[in-house]
Amino acid sequence: MVGLSIGEKHFIQGGIAQDLRSDGRKRLTTRPIYVETGVISQANGSARVRMGATDVIASVKAELGRPNALQPDKGKVVVNVDCSPTAAPMFEGRGGEELSAELSVALQCCLLGGKSGSGAGIDLSSLVVVEGKICWDLYIDGLVVSSDGNLLDALGAAIKAALSNTGIPKVNVAAGASGDEQPEVDVSDEEFLQFDTSRVPVIVTLTKVGRHYIVDATSEEESQMSSAVSISINRQGHICGLTKRGGAGLDPSIILDMISVAKTVSEQLINTLDSHIAAAEAGEEES
Amino acid sequence: MAGKGGATPSTYSPSPTTQKTKSLSFGNDEVLRPDDREWHQCRPAFFQIGVVAAAAGSAYADFGSTKVIVSVFGPRESKKAMMYSDIGRLNCNVSYTNFATPVRGQAYDLGSDHKEFSSMLHKALEGATILETFPKTTVDVFALVLESGGSDLPVVISCASLALADAGIMMYDLVTSVSVSCLGKNLVLDPTLEEESYQDGSLILTCMPSRDEVTQLTITGEWSTPKINEGMKICTDACSKFSQIMKSCLKGLDSALEEEDSNVD
Amino acid sequence: MALPDASGDVLSEMDVDAFRRLFPLRFFETHLVKSTRPDGRSLAEARETSSALGAVASADGSALVKIGSTRMLAAIKMEVMTPSKESPDEGCIAIDFHMPPICSPTVRPGRPAEAAPVVSKQLSDTILRQVKCLSCCSFCGMINLKELSLISGKAAWMAYLDIYCLDADGALFDAALLSAVAAFSHLQIPVVSMNDDGKVVVLSGDHGGKEPVNKGKRKLTLSSIPLSLTCLLHKNYILADPTAEEESVMETLVTVVLDSSGQLVSLYKPGGPVLAYTSAIQDCVALTRQRARELQTILDEVTSGMEVD
Repeated sequence: MVGLSIGEKHFIQGGIAQDLRSDGRKRLTTRPIYVETGVISQANGSARVRMGATDVIASVKAELGRPNALQPDKGKVVVNVDCSPTAAPMFEGRGGEELSAELSVALQCCLLGGKSGSGAGIDLSSLVVVEGKICWDLYIDGLVVSSDGNLLDALGAAIKAALSNTGIPKVNVAAGASGDEQPEVDVSDEEFLQFDTSRVPVIVTLTKVGRHYIVDATSEEESQMSSAVSISINRQGHICGLTKRGGAGLDPSIILDMISVAKTVSEQLINTLDSHIAAAEAGEEES
Repeated sequence: MAGKGGATPSTYSPSPTTQKTKSLSFGNDEVLRPDDREWHQCRPAFFQIGVVAAAAGSAYADFGSTKVIVSVFGPRESKKAMMYSDIGRLNCNVSYTNFATPVRGQAYDLGSDHKEFSSMLHKALEGATILETFPKTTVDVFALVLESGGSDLPVVISCASLALADAGIMMYDLVTSVSVSCLGKNLVLDPTLEEESYQDGSLILTCMPSRDEVTQLTITGEWSTPKINEGMKICTDACSKFSQIMKSCLKGLDSALEEEDSNVD
Repeated sequence: MALPDASGDVLSEMDVDAFRRLFPLRFFETHLVKSTRPDGRSLAEARETSSALGAVASADGSALVKIGSTRMLAAIKMEVMTPSKESPDEGCIAIDFHMPPICSPTVRPGRPAEAAPVVSKQLSDTILRQVKCLSCCSFCGMINLKELSLISGKAAWMAYLDIYCLDADGALFDAALLSAVAAFSHLQIPVVSMNDDGKVVVLSGDHGGKEPVNKGKRKLTLSSIPLSLTCLLHKNYILADPTAEEESVMETLVTVVLDSSGQLVSLYKPGGPVLAYTSAIQDCVALTRQRARELQTILDEVTSGMEVD
């Protein structure tokens, strides 16, 4: 929780109303973003994203598993977020659980699309090795190292970067298994399949303070919010998921307006993020 | 005790679980929905308040085969570990019965409590409840899904707001919620469990109809902006209809509540 | 009952509700001396009881039971299992009693109610009782587990009975047992056949050319139905079918279970401050006998209603 005096609150609210925020940004300007990939060597893919003082790490671990009986032609993706007690004192003990659960659900909703799989950032059918028998289970773990607002967007960006960093080992299936038997597999150590991340959406959170909304809010600004809408948008400009936070209600027309604002912001964000990811990948290969 | 031979043996349900015969009739405009509804028609809704005598307020709702009971307890003392707060707290919990799903215990994948729904119910209600009216205390909202027949969360939310009203908790307005599923080209209002399993995307809208305010909106799947527009329009229309039914349900039982209701409007 | 004079004055001016909350025991005792109870019942009178069958559409058998404001919802789902080697031609019944947080202010999520496992165990003991009694030298329980067999040694039914307390207002065991019995009488076992993989599947309308394995075995024979009454002992009074408030004020409970032929199935007296004389227990049994007849009539009415449908 951020403790602010009345004067500070007025300063933040007034600044937002005049389109000049306390760190000099405009309402729809994001903080500079830093991307680093391959930060965890044990994982199949990982990335660290920093936006101002917000610092998050995402890692992707792929394991062979069995597809769900109801969806034999799809792999499984599990998103889990952990808030480290080092990020804020209130995350100590079980304090971070609620926020972690909320972020996990929001990310799952934004990345995985509808039940039939349309609009999913990750193509679940590409994870199947043998239909109904073997598939890849992707465990996506997010860790909040330091928190200064806008965690969801940062985690979304980190997951996108981690996925582009992910290589899934090639699997050779031994022929001959029939019926109910589980076929034997040979997981290659050298050949990796690159993951297609062009469809992974970015998340843009618009935080409403007073009558205006801002992007990439710091925690000081978030403490003044009445509500926030997180929208995940892919490269085609389609909405892949939307969640709302904060108690205050919003007029339906405002939500539609927010969606269109988020769309314009997302275009820039996708481009910046892609070039940063490419740069980080190139940097990693050189070293 | 011959019936229980040590460890429970593993069992399976004899009813078919893999219904992979995806009925593509959904794309066809002429074919109606499995239960003969129009695309934008809700299932028959039924609400009743005061169903649990032990609770301060309670409500039962059934939408087709989705059946839900919500009990409200309190305002009562907050847990000792909670810090002082000059506004009240809402504590929400959603759980499923073992027989709620077609195959027993399917809803129990995440343990007996549905954490995701619990937090979404909380978010949907907190904006509508006047928390300042019960400082330092907690109001517990507990929901039990007796039978899951699709659109479970929206039914739980509407039912919970009715239970809060029944308990005499001050609210800005009743909260109603409804969902639409995107099936091919069509938007389907108040989907059943079967329709939900084919959906390409879903939109759950929770609002306070008399204030025309959206307290919660969740979208999954890929949507274009015009489609979101259309979906929200359908939902807000349906929500205002539900709020009429819910209000008449409240008025039917208690004239004292009616007074409170009109103050709130 | 001698009160100090000063507090006597206060009491005479006190509101009835306040008196009830501050001096619950004295409140009840003032009623008891007049052989009546706060809700207008006489001491030996049980609350109004009703039952409805088929409340849960997705279950194979279900029942909703109300005793006063105590409500129980019981549902049975049938699943298939491989029977154990010791009893290849017997099925199984698993009974679970749940008290979800909605039913009572004392139950919180994540902390299961203390009473739930106790009632669960009592129910299992009562329903699954399979004693070979000497008098009739044959099977004597409520359900013959052999009727749940499908293919000896290969497949048998596992009946999952889940009972949910929707509203807890005392006499939970009585209501739960009644709902369990009603659910079993409503149970319609699905018609199944064996498919090519050796799994048992439900036959759909057209039968698909397969022969059903359990033709004509769609109902269980319920022999000797157990029915119960909980009584509350306080001083020399016996209160039948107590409410939650009565149970919390006066703590000694006696639960008697009798079967259809009036024989004693079980008797629970889980401690409590009142030590019961044999005569008190006999009175409880007599009350239960009377109550069992009432309950039997209620059950007969709902089941006959079902057959007409």
